[in-house]
Amino acid sequence: MMKRLTILLAICISCSLTAFSQAKKPTIMVVPSDLWCNTNGYMMQFDNQGTTVKLPDYKRAVQSSSELMVVVSKINELMTDRGFPLKNLESSLKTLEMDAAETAMSSSKSGSEVSESPIDMLKNIARADIWMQISWTVNNVGPRKSITFVLQGLDAYTDKQIAGASGTGNQLIGAELPVMLEAAVLSHLDNFNSQLQGHFDDLFTNGREISLRIRKWDSFDGDLETEYEGDELGYHIENWVSDNTVEGRFNTSDASENRMIFEQVRIPLYDQNNRAVDARGWVRGLQKYLRERFGVESKISMRGLGQATLTIGEK
Amino acid sequence: MKRNVLKIFLLFISLLIILPGVYGQRRKKEDANTRNWRYEIEGVQTGVQGTYLIKVWTYSNRPDLAIEQAKKNAVHGIIFRGFAGTGRVPGKKPLAQSPNLEEEKSDFFSLFFGEGGKYMKYISLTNDGAVAAQDRMKVGKEYKVGVIVSVNVDGLRKDLEDAGIIKSLGGGF
Repeated sequence: MMKRLTILLAICISCSLTAFSQAKKPTIMVVPSDLWCNTNGYMMQFDNQGTTVKLPDYKRAVQSSSELMVVVSKINELMTDRGFPLKNLESSLKTLEMDAAETAMSSSKSGSEVSESPIDMLKNIARADIWMQISWTVNNVGPRKSITFVLQGLDAYTDKQIAGASGTGNQLIGAELPVMLEAAVLSHLDNFNSQLQGHFDDLFTNGREISLRIRKWDSFDGDLETEYEGDELGYHIENWVSDNTVEGRFNTSDASENRMIFEQVRIPLYDQNNRAVDARGWVRGLQKYLRERFGVESKISMRGLGQATLTIGEK
Repeated sequence: MKRNVLKIFLLFISLLIILPGVYGQRRKKEDANTRNWRYEIEGVQTGVQGTYLIKVWTYSNRPDLAIEQAKKNAVHGIIFRGFAGTGRVPGKKPLAQSPNLEEEKSDFFSLFFGEGGKYMKYISLTNDGAVAAQDRMKVGKEYKVGVIVSVNVDGLRKDLEDAGIIKSLGGGF
């Protein structure tokens, strides 16, 4: 009787795990393109060791451009209608500022401050797994106006354009710009979403595409060419990646004694326990393998769902 | 006299029986045209939010049947076929992600596009079915009629997603 109950319980638990386990949902954020920011004067300039570097100033853009607000809000509205709410750029920027202020002011009862490494500080930027980059230009032909609208969906980790839609709308006389922009969004968003759906379908069929970087600390006694059990460490890592990707799909883009770069790595969406996996969860398997098999410690650092770096030698 | 009345009565009864059958036969021909993709769709303008404004070209022996069938063709086309853009109006891809969806879910779609089917829910004729002179053409023995139709795509997509016929954008996450 007890045995039967145990089996029944085990079946129930496994069923509930299967039912509730869902793939990790990518976050999407709408941002103006660098071209739009540059054309409309929303850029920041830095002097980086003698070279002038220009970066888009999103904060000033969202605070100053009412047209940008119309476009972002319309896209957010339509995507929410499709059951895929987006991260809002303006809110993300505010949250980052708030977090930074809280971190600066926080202290424990004993006066200890919150730990923050230079890398943590560097990573305090607005983040998303997929960027929806928008850009538009107003074309004037005499009294007639039209809008050329470009929408690009960019994967933050593979740098691939996974969806896109663009085109020039009808020439109109006397139409207001916000109305024309709304029409442009309505015209193009369905085609964009259709390609995005194709990307998600591919993800469910062939696994999530991530990139993996292997590096080594200076303190590590050895490198990726050091031999363990008759083969170089780099080859052991490559074999593990091959064994643990969907149909062994990956590219070794770069390999030296100090670093390896794997791209187009297709990882399964779920692990053996049917739990959703991202790049960090997947590379933990490699970390464990190196520790248990060769006694090599390593540290994982991650960026979102699709990029992980394993630095070998110590934590 | 009595025989004449009886004849007229019998004729009337036969007409009552035959006419719907003839009408049904005609509709069957139009339905076969729809199934065989014998219609054309082009974008007219960007519709108001959640709708597509399209012109559907339908073939039929009778223009009034063509106008009626255009409603079915419009929904059929948006689900399975999509349409190409014209000039500055961009085309749209079909709602169906699989090219064999109609066969895979034939039970659902035979009811959906059947007599009094649910497809009517998503359609409105923009000018009450009035067809411009240049949109009514005689091609051989048939008419080719172009009707401008507004389709509630958001509602259509949502109902198909809820019925499990197509996947939603966030489905699976």
